[in-house]
Amino acid sequence: MSFIEVKNVSFSYSETNNAIDDVSFNIEKGTYTTIIGHNGSGKSTIAKLIAGLLTPKAGEIFIEGVKVCEENMPTIRKKLGIVFQNPDNQFIGSTVKDDIAFGLENRRVEPSKMDDIILEYASKVGLTGLLDKEPQNMSGGQKQRVAIAGVLAMQPNVIIFDEATSMLDPKARKEIKTFMYDLSKNPDFTIVSITHDIEEVLQSEECIVLNNGKLFMQDKPENVFKHPEELRKINLDIPFIELVKEAFAKKKIKVNADNIEGVVKQLCQYRSKN
Amino acid sequence: MNNLVLGKYIPLDSIMHRLDPRAKLVALILMIVAIFVPKSWYVFLVIGIILVVEILLAKLNFKYVLSSVKPMMFMMVFLLIINVLTLKTGDLLVKLGPVEIYADALFNTLFVVTRLLLMIMVTTTLTATTKPLDLTLGIEHLLKPLQVIKFPTHEIAMMISIALRFIPTIIEETMRIMDAQKSRGVDFENGKLSEKIGAILSLIIPLFSVAFERAYELADAMEARGYVPGAERTRYHVLKFEVRDYIYLFLNIVVMGLSIASRFVL
Repeated sequence: MSFIEVKNVSFSYSETNNAIDDVSFNIEKGTYTTIIGHNGSGKSTIAKLIAGLLTPKAGEIFIEGVKVCEENMPTIRKKLGIVFQNPDNQFIGSTVKDDIAFGLENRRVEPSKMDDIILEYASKVGLTGLLDKEPQNMSGGQKQRVAIAGVLAMQPNVIIFDEATSMLDPKARKEIKTFMYDLSKNPDFTIVSITHDIEEVLQSEECIVLNNGKLFMQDKPENVFKHPEELRKINLDIPFIELVKEAFAKKKIKVNADNIEGVVKQLCQYRSKN
Repeated sequence: MNNLVLGKYIPLDSIMHRLDPRAKLVALILMIVAIFVPKSWYVFLVIGIILVVEILLAKLNFKYVLSSVKPMMFMMVFLLIINVLTLKTGDLLVKLGPVEIYADALFNTLFVVTRLLLMIMVTTTLTATTKPLDLTLGIEHLLKPLQVIKFPTHEIAMMISIALRFIPTIIEETMRIMDAQKSRGVDFENGKLSEKIGAILSLIIPLFSVAFERAYELADAMEARGYVPGAERTRYHVLKFEVRDYIYLFLNIVVMGLSIASRFVL
């Protein structure tokens, strides 16, 4: 049994066409999976379906064997946390500590225990000195870290990042991505990240490609990018390193390393040979 | 938006700030009664002195509290003029050609204006010393008896606190849309009434559409973090009535009692 099982799921916002059309995939426990696809491919919709915020029209979703549906929602909520795209629209409390407390209140945690929990998770995301800050006086990256602390404080097994870095400046984006990577090293967390960021895909262990609501590919990121032509056909970006390899392949120079250092080394060797 | 004094919280550390919001809310109601009942300048003077003491205890700036009255100034002057010119009872004080000013008119209106001034300043002292969230929490607790008739006190408090949380965000949004529309040639300041209405519409429509989008996303975020309307939840902020709160309430009850008594004695 896989950790997350999506079985023949379909969903539509309107009567005419399906936003998600008969999609099936499995996500294993403790992995870091990215879901990519161009705008309208259904990647955010699938995140909301897994989180139980939308109900599939057909098919079933299971998290650790528990079906995602109305009556199992309390159990699912304990297992799953979700970080959304817009840092402002998920900041519910009036200060950082109030916001982290929001989930704990819903969980009916004793008020006397909340301060310790808040401090613990705020320090995990580096917000210790900002507990009394209000959202209007914080940067997008800081607000997004509050959202992550709020989710972590609920101690979920799986965290969905729904384009969590797309509204941030480059520096904050890098910070959050590094944080996600570090988090993925912990085998207790299964991470599913919906993203546009090709560089982020490269740091994940598994990649799911969606196109027009259908599953297009599911494989290791390095294998996914071995098919640049197909990815271009569905309007996806190709990582820089793959573009380099492709450009050299056109000149009949074979480069097959998986990182920049390797590519440079191979090119230097090629030059010394000729 | 810094000129919006009424209702703004001033973060300071004072005994007034530390009082329980429930005590302060009940005290506000008592004070408003104490302000509206009497018909004697002495009582107003006493209430004025109490107010000054409260402002001093709260370490607030007098100028700040007085400036809260400004938005009402025009209305009060208007009230004064109309009343003085129309009411014709009591002794004739001054006669300037066709204008006659009578004692009752003048003093009754001055009473009304004084009451309004005191009330605004008392309320400003409350909102300046109490965080909006604590006020909401206080209101929620005071409305608790209404839960007997299934009145959703908690949900209403949640709505108020979210509204308060999003006021700065929406203001920022408004500024951004105004700038965006200005850059497209919309003139918010000049022009005929019809043009101005058009300009305002170009602001309001995108503002509403964005606000609805926010509301949907916020609802998703709240649901994802386990919020179920109507379900029982614990509260991070625990209100605790302390000795000082009882003393404060007691003093306010005394003031109200004396003020009501003055109606019969003075």
